[in-house]
This record gives sequence, C-alpha cells and structure tokens, in this order.
Amino acid sequence: MLKTSFVPVAIDQACQRRQKDAEGEFYRKIAGQGPRGDFSNTTQGFYIATAAGKLLLYNNNRDPEKLFRLMRERLREYEFGSHPFDRDQVKAELLEASNAKRDPRYTLRPPADGLVVRVHAKVLGGYGKPISDSEASFQTALGRDNLWVTAEEQAALVKGRFPEALQRRIARFHLVDNTRGEPPMWKQDEIRKLTIQLDDDGVLTGHVELGTADGKRGYRAELRGRLAVAGKSVTGFQLVALGKFFGEGRYTRNAPKGRFPLAVTFDLADGSDIADAVAPQGARGWLAGYLK
Amino acid sequence: MGKRLLTICLLLAAFVQSAVTAGELSQERCSELLSTLKPGKDAVWRSIPWRLSVLEARAIALKEDKPVFIWAMDGHPLGCV
Repeated sequence: MLKTSFVPVAIDQACQRRQKDAEGEFYRKIAGQGPRGDFSNTTQGFYIATAAGKLLLYNNNRDPEKLFRLMRERLREYEFGSHPFDRDQVKAELLEASNAKRDPRYTLRPPADGLVVRVHAKVLGGYGKPISDSEASFQTALGRDNLWVTAEEQAALVKGRFPEALQRRIARFHLVDNTRGEPPMWKQDEIRKLTIQLDDDGVLTGHVELGTADGKRGYRAELRGRLAVAGKSVTGFQLVALGKFFGEGRYTRNAPKGRFPLAVTFDLADGSDIADAVAPQGARGWLAGYLK
Repeated sequence: MGKRLLTICLLLAAFVQSAVTAGELSQERCSELLSTLKPGKDAVWRSIPWRLSVLEARAIALKEDKPVFIWAMDGHPLGCV
C-alpha cells in the first residue's frame, strides 16, 4: 500500500522543523496541524497529508496493525474525494519553491569528488533476555550511517596517506553505538588514542581508545581493513572496528551491562541505495564541523 | 600418563584457540563482519521507494494524485536514528 497508494518520504525532522526555506515551511505547515506543533521540540511520527498540505493523519504508534488500519481509512477518504484542493495553486507554490534558495545548513550534499562510505554498527553480545518484542528488535538492530570523505582526503588516500582529519571524523562521529537510537558523538578531547595506518599493499590497521571524562562511556577497539585504488580514485574502502564498548546515551538507553562487544564496519557505497544519499548524522546542521 | 598429557595439550590448544578468536581481528574476521553487518537486499524498508525531501514528495503527490506519507524521526530513518 505504501509503495502504490502513497508517496513515501523519510526525513530527519530535526532538520525540517528548523529549516528556513520552502522545504521546512511545507513540513511545518503539515506538522503544525497535529499535536506536535511546538517546533522547538521533536515532531517525530507518521504523517499523511495532501499535496496542498492538509494533514489527514498523525500517528506515533509502534503498532503496525493500528497504523495500517489508519492508513487504509485515510486513503479511502482521499480516494473518495473528501479532501479537494486547488491544484493550480499547489503547482504555482511548487514552481516558486523550485526557484527559491534552500537553507544551506540543512541541504547537505556529499563533498564534490569525494566518497560516501556506508557505516554499520552492531552489538555482538552482552544483552540479557529481552522482555518484549520491541526490546528484542533493539538488541539485534543494525545501526546505520554514512561517512563522507572529501576530495582532498581521497587524493591523500590514493597517495598512500590516511589523513588525520579523516581518522578523527571516523572516531568522533562513527565509532558510536547507534543501535538503539541517536547516540552521543565523541568530543575532540574524548579521543584518548587513535592511529589508522595504511601500508603499501593497501592494508589498514589501527587502534582507538575513546572515553568520557566521567568514565561513564568508552570504546576501545582494533581496526583493520583494506583500501583499493585505481588511477586517481579510491575504488574500495573497507574498514572494521571491533572492540569493547561501555555506557549509553540519553537516547540509547538499555545498553548491555558492563563492557560489551561492538563492531562497526565501513564499506564504500555504490549509490544503489537511497540511503547512500542521507547526510551523516554528525553533519546535521554543521557540515563544516563534521568535515574539519 | 600419555592420555593425561594429551588431555592437557588439547585443553591448552582449545584455550589458545579461543583467546586468539576473541582477541584477533584477522582479515577473515573482517570479511565476516562486513558481510554480517550488511542489511539484506530483500529487507522490506529497502523495497519502499522513499523520497528524501517533502517538496519532492509533494510534487509527485500532485502529479500522481496520491497523499504524502511522511516518516519523520529524530535522526534520519534511513540513516542514523
């Protein structure tokens, strides 16, 4: 039903609710009709709306059966013609929006001539027995994100050097436990030790130690991988971090007790997945800070 | 005596093997993790034709006369959430 009868769109609402452009305005027009109209707070959930921006449904329930039933009901109303709107007016608004400036803080594109690397994380053990299906799904979840590499960094990799800024970016924004929600990233001074070396055969090896000053969260891991180069381009980028993590963040509660094994993998994206176009979480609202 | 020595050797070998497996990030282990930590191509969420912009979705909704379905999260639903 989602594939055929709706136009599905997935967004990080933390952007759209702040975004000062037509994209943000249209989202806020829809979300503002629901119960989460305070845009200084989260507006997360599922929304169904007409192209004119009339809200037909807001739901933030995890019960798929309930959501499916509500979707069917709203679709029936829509197809029955219960929500007419002025199509020429919408067309005109879309034309105006296409010519307007986008808010650069939230309109992020991968660095020109750079690389997009898919990042996945998984807790490999340490959990107790789950008390619900929901908890079980969190315990087996795969964290996802993308790593962006600049053109200059790609050129350095081609020459056999692994740039320090790229090492720091990997450590600070990607060696995180994002399997149960939005994780806290590491601050610069929380990097205790970090080396990633690239040898003449393209083999990557390294070691990292990360930890908060209060000792409540940390990660110590070995890194290993392989880089492939053809001409002036990186054609393969595979890196794995495997080690022990401890602690959790405000939105990543219910981590295993004590130290638990966490693996993070990096693999060059091929652009075949729509998720390849999603900006790194660490770049949200601050691309320059992420890339520096 | 011979049997006892053999048992001790086997236990030692098993211990060394398990220590190596737990502590070493070999190329084989890397390949295994890269393969394991990869969402399946048949994962349901990957079969949905998601758009990443509500304006793009709005234009398609107008053209195809369909409602827009927005999945809005803290963090991107297709990325880090």
